Amino acid sequence: MDGAFASVDRGADRRDVSEAFLATLGFGGHQIGNAAAALAEEAGLVGVPVTRVENACASGGFALRSALAAVSAGASPLVLVTGVEKMTDVTNARRRYWLGVSGDTEWERSAGLTFAGVYGLVASRYFAEHGDASEALAEVASKNHENGALNPNAHFHRRVTRAEVLAAPRVARPLGLFDCCPVSDGAAALLLSPPELAHRFTDTPVYVDAAGAGTDFLAVQERPELTRFRASHRAAHEAFRSAGWNRSDVSFLEVHDCFTIAELLALEDLGFAAPGEAPRMTLSGATRRDGRLPVNPDGGLKAKGHPIGATGVSQVYEIFLQLRGQAGLRQVAGADHALAHNVGGAGATAAVSLFSVG
Amino acid sequence: MRRVVRVAAYVPAGASNWAAVAASDEDSFTLAATAVERVWSGRRAEPGPILVHALGDFPEVVEWGFAALLGRETVVTRSPGTASQLAKALEELEGGEGGPAIVVAVDLAETSASRTSSKSGIAGDAAVAFLLEPTESAAPLLFGKHAAGRSAVAATVRRARSEAAGGSRIMFVGDWDRGAGVGSAREAKPAGRDRSDNLGTVSEGAYIPRARYLENLPSRWRFLAEVCEACHRTTFPSRRVCRNCGRADSLTPVELPYNGGRVVAVTTVSAGGQPTEFDAQVAGSGPYDVALVELARGMRVTLQVTDIAPGTLAVGDHVDTLLRRLYPMEGEWRYGRKAVPVSTAGSRGPAKTPA
Ligand SMILES: [Zn+2]
Repeated sequence: MDGAFASVDRGADRRDVSEAFLATLGFGGHQIGNAAAALAEEAGLVGVPVTRVENACASGGFALRSALAAVSAGASPLVLVTGVEKMTDVTNARRRYWLGVSGDTEWERSAGLTFAGVYGLVASRYFAEHGDASEALAEVASKNHENGALNPNAHFHRRVTRAEVLAAPRVARPLGLFDCCPVSDGAAALLLSPPELAHRFTDTPVYVDAAGAGTDFLAVQERPELTRFRASHRAAHEAFRSAGWNRSDVSFLEVHDCFTIAELLALEDLGFAAPGEAPRMTLSGATRRDGRLPVNPDGGLKAKGHPIGATGVSQVYEIFLQLRGQAGLRQVAGADHALAHNVGGAGATAAVSLFSVG
Repeated sequence: MRRVVRVAAYVPAGASNWAAVAASDEDSFTLAATAVERVWSGRRAEPGPILVHALGDFPEVVEWGFAALLGRETVVTRSPGTASQLAKALEELEGGEGGPAIVVAVDLAETSASRTSSKSGIAGDAAVAFLLEPTESAAPLLFGKHAAGRSAVAATVRRARSEAAGGSRIMFVGDWDRGAGVGSAREAKPAGRDRSDNLGTVSEGAYIPRARYLENLPSRWRFLAEVCEACHRTTFPSRRVCRNCGRADSLTPVELPYNGGRVVAVTTVSAGGQPTEFDAQVAGSGPYDVALVELARGMRVTLQVTDIAPGTLAVGDHVDTLLRRLYPMEGEWRYGRKAVPVSTAGSRGPAKTPA
């Protein structure tokens, strides 16, 4: 959070914050209820209204959407959006418990599935409909690790080859160890102000042009298809319509690659690849940092890490750097329009936001 | 008067490998439940209560589990699992008045040696169920007193066990009049079975309160769905509101068949990828498959796969479903259906009445 204040070109401090939104699952159960008050205490914001937003892995994206509504309503001149998750300080059994609380309990969990298993089913179906995409999944992991190696805030800085990804032990057939994001600690924060006030703080603000969202059945068994996340599709549709953008306006994407198959689905759900075309697009190099449409230049959830509540906010952090040309070695050349895609669970909730600069 | 009209025998996969069976997801209730639902199959529409007499050692679920399984009022009576008790129960029910009755017997391996070698022929992890229906006939079989009938039952189960020696699951359902099979050599006495279930050790599972578990049993055990008269769409699992149009006053309950499923997607959950309540299972028997299965009316259900090596089931395969133990919670087992490959789950035996 200090970083967020420090990044304001002309300065801002806690006294300027009129409202805050906190995105967190509350992993570990340390403060399940009333976590907003705990944030106010820790952040020196006691007295400021704080709302906790919990939509599992999509908490950050939904918190941004709520903050945007608060700012747009004119009620708050400077809104803080922060996401946080501390995941590594609990026992292995508790960690695995908390990793499973956001899936469908009644049917999926009682059949023996965690999210790896649910995404394993999704990948199984994707392969059945579109052919074996193992090589493309390995490319997603390899590409995102390569990007993460250039991100000082990433969990992993080690590059992995496609061959290493393919040779790793399987976790949930057809997904292997390198198809899964790690368990990480992390936090991210951003400050949002109305456009007319933004220049009080900086000459180069990043604009939030739209924030769409959607939901779907919690359990995949109730959805008509596994290979398309309707919540993502709906969120993207809402965002693009609201902003009046075309897909071709977008310079790069931050998508929710909690498992490698999720990045392929995202390309299709968000309208950047036709159904079944994401593997070919990925293997063509189009989604690499120097490609036609870079995807996850910060390393994605795969290499940067996936501290649940922080993830959706950290995507916006990367977009803020990229759009202002401050991303250093991993800078996407000429980036001026970006999309953030944040998914809760296996597509039960999704948020899509659009950003631009200048 | 009633008479025996149908018999079903069920021998679990790996019945000749007792260590495998002991580590499996079966218990005396699931064995009995499978035999009972198969012998009752196709007779769901008949009104009125049904009497179920269960012989053997059972967990507490046996007191209410058959009612949930059959979806109708059920009176459960019990007696020890011995050949003489079986004969007595059949004799009493044959001679008695009232609606349909089922006698189900399970004789687990840890019961006494004398029982294991009894003439009942149902020693070991096998279950046999008899369906008795009211009859106007003056000459019921009076099976319980009939030495020939008794030995035919023994022969039926021996044959099932002999076929199961290859490790596959055996199930057959036969109309009693057509005879119930031929005998073969009896299996060797199995070793004692470890039934220390560690019911109290799991506390980190996603929590489904017992009341909610019981409330959802119709969908979990009988695949209860609802058809909407207003929009003609089906809702499964049942949620007392149409998931398509949102109406609650237009729903007709319908049970989806528990067999004839098709695999839409399948994954293998490796050690470490399982929810914590499955830790003991993974430690005991390793990775398992989970499949998304399409049932009738296009409804889909997520089921763990059992009785097959993980990694062998494929998209497009046909599956049957059986009641099994899922995981322990709050001192008892939670039960639900699992998918089994159809190649070894089909109705086998002398009379191929559809199961
Ligand atoms: Zn309807």
